[in-house]
Amino acid sequence: MAHALRDKYAIVGTGKSQLGRVPGVSTLGLLEQAIAQALDEAGLKNSDVDGVICRGPDDMYCFHQHIARRLDINCGFSTSLDNGGASQILSISMACMAIEAGLATTVVCGYGRDSWSRTHATKEARTQTDLVPAAQRPREFGPEHGYFAAVAPHAFGARRHMHEFGTTREDFAEIACAFREHALRNPEAMMKEPLTRADYLAARYIVEPFGLFDCSILSDGAGAVVVTSAERARDLKSRPVTIKGFATFNNTKGWFEEDHMVSTAAQESGARAYKMAGVGPSDIDTGQIYDCFTYMVLTQLEDYGFARKGEGGEFVRSGALRLGGALPTNTSGGQLSEAHVEGMLQIVEGARQLQGRYDASRQVRDAEIALVSGHGGNTVCHSTLILGKA
Amino acid sequence: MSDPQTTKSAYAKPIPVPSHESRPFWEALRQHKLTMPKCSACGHRWFPPTLLCPSCRSAEVVWEPVSGRGKVFSFVNFHRNYHKGFADERPYCVAVVALDEGPRMISNVIGIAPDEVRCDMAVEVVYEDIAETATLAKFKPVG
Repeated sequence: MAHALRDKYAIVGTGKSQLGRVPGVSTLGLLEQAIAQALDEAGLKNSDVDGVICRGPDDMYCFHQHIARRLDINCGFSTSLDNGGASQILSISMACMAIEAGLATTVVCGYGRDSWSRTHATKEARTQTDLVPAAQRPREFGPEHGYFAAVAPHAFGARRHMHEFGTTREDFAEIACAFREHALRNPEAMMKEPLTRADYLAARYIVEPFGLFDCSILSDGAGAVVVTSAERARDLKSRPVTIKGFATFNNTKGWFEEDHMVSTAAQESGARAYKMAGVGPSDIDTGQIYDCFTYMVLTQLEDYGFARKGEGGEFVRSGALRLGGALPTNTSGGQLSEAHVEGMLQIVEGARQLQGRYDASRQVRDAEIALVSGHGGNTVCHSTLILGKA
Repeated sequence: MSDPQTTKSAYAKPIPVPSHESRPFWEALRQHKLTMPKCSACGHRWFPPTLLCPSCRSAEVVWEPVSGRGKVFSFVNFHRNYHKGFADERPYCVAVVALDEGPRMISNVIGIAPDEVRCDMAVEVVYEDIAETATLAKFKPVG
């Protein structure tokens, strides 16, 4: 029997703020821009919205309340999320659940953060190397050994995968170069210069085995979507995208435990989402895969069943991720080359690909089903969204 | 009198701040003993420490010495400067060490060039007194 919520809800509007270096516009302002675009697309007024599920910087208390206030609305269901890069798909899952429970009818989901401005806009800001609020930074079991920030744990995973399966930095290079090539087709993308394998290999190391181009970029930006029932979507002006399946799974025992570094929570999250959607890896026409670091794409491609475990390198070397390849992936440039908005823009990109709204140079041909992933928290949280052409 | 800012022995790296749960770990390291939590009720061993056994919730948690031997589960070499105390040592190796007894911990592999470290390399503990109040457990290749 088909899952009761399969295709029952839909994304009816998508929006992006200005992306990149947007000094002077706050996190909340960026998200206002994205939400306005999403509601415009759907032809909805602010007063049609009765749910807000959002996420912003880690040091903002009750972020959703600030957003709802800016929309001048009261909410039947609203909350902020705290599951790292897995939050944004989770917000869409929660929107479906809230509507199903009768708590709301039309829910705005969004993420915004002024990460570039916070770390680069002023001389004072440039001394910041860590976006984690001071009170949340560890004071033992890390800093005393020189273990800092988010690059290193992911680099541990990359190193272990290289050791177990013979994966190489050349494999990571193909991921970085493919997404950069996609970004060059996306006028909104931050990165405007071509990237070659030689550029990748010549770049300085950050935390080895990761070099500069293994790491996602710091951006100011926001993204938003509007979720409502598929039935209601038929009366709205936009072309809806149906929510076929969603899931989340967190390997909360820890990144260092078991084999989590090389077999992520995407395995379980993906299996659950595929089951809900009634599809498998071979049905997916485009992947929008959470790319905080190149390696995380490689392991997720395996964890989602696009390649066997250990064969992700071979899969990407085949050109699979490129437009025209077996699985055109991160067709906006992703977080490595479009902008890093914690996966929210990849939800927008997945939906827009299924609406078929791009010109031929960046449209995935005949795209009917997209898989979007979110990953983060303490490296262990994962979420999956499977979208379908209406 | 020496100017405190120019005292050569000033230790410029972060000094660990123990929590209620971790205090015995740091106190044992002062005695050059590497210990790990163990549940007296079910025998489970784990790290980092918690108030109760994460497996059976017993409060009978004891700190037991371990062999100090293990393997490098994974490692990275820091090139970017995140903290002035480590600036001159870059690149330096930070590793997840899997102790023979099971628990895994963050540490440094020393006594070998960072680019010669390998996953699954056998290592053993070495103690480094960094302050009157703190000793670190680091690891060096066996043999």
